[in-house]
Amino acid sequence: MPNDESRESLAEKKLLRALADGNPEAVGQIYEIYGERIFRFTFRLLGNRSDAEDATAETFLRVLRRSAELRADGAFKTWLFRIARNLCIDKIRQHKLIELPPDTPVNGSEERSALRVTVRQALSQLPQDYQDPLILCDLEDFSAQEAADILDISVPALKSRLYRGRRSLRDKLGSLMERTS
Amino acid sequence: MNHELHRKLVDLYGGRELPPDVDAILEAAAATDAELAHDMRTLRETVDTLRADSGAAFTEESYQRILQRIYIRGGNIQPRAATPAALQYQLPMLG
Repeated sequence: MPNDESRESLAEKKLLRALADGNPEAVGQIYEIYGERIFRFTFRLLGNRSDAEDATAETFLRVLRRSAELRADGAFKTWLFRIARNLCIDKIRQHKLIELPPDTPVNGSEERSALRVTVRQALSQLPQDYQDPLILCDLEDFSAQEAADILDISVPALKSRLYRGRRSLRDKLGSLMERTS
Repeated sequence: MNHELHRKLVDLYGGRELPPDVDAILEAAAATDAELAHDMRTLRETVDTLRADSGAAFTEESYQRILQRIYIRGGNIQPRAATPAALQYQLPMLG
């Protein structure tokens, strides 16, 4: 009997075949499955809702435009996140970000919300090479192999950036907290 | 323990990637080494704090705005959920 994971993978393969055949319902279902994760990921990279929504929409448009190239070989998720990341990097490079206030925290105590803002601020100040592994591995729960595939680097390189990134984040957080205390 | 190995172990400790018995050995070593204890504690706190951030809420409004942007740019997409009436674009009143 197939387990949940193989059932999911079979369902995804079917979906990707439908997408390659130009079925608009298929991309709708892919949006239902991955829309939230792509939005959260782009928000973490871009720091504001409007740009994150824009990058998410553009990611799914790219999926539609390139649907004929899709292969149901299990690499779809990493391919999707790679598209989203590249779009975000382009946006950052173009300096076209609209400066918007950070989202109002929806839950948690004031102290926890303030800490969350400080962590996001510290993270955004790190070099992109450190931000990417931290976002993918520590925030979005990707495995080292998946994150390395998205970033198109080796697993040892990913781990080296991840560990250096955590230390840099600690130093940044320390100085930000000292400044605010 | 050489410096490189020491640093690597602390990195893994910070991310809770060590097996519990190795964790315990490292914690025992930290009991007599204040610098090591500080390095371990602050790194683990940083990673735990980072991981506790659940991210921005994906609201119904964001879900619909993304769909609208896809439609506007010519994307043919059919999600299963219909747009709630409250979130559909309003036409201006004439007259």
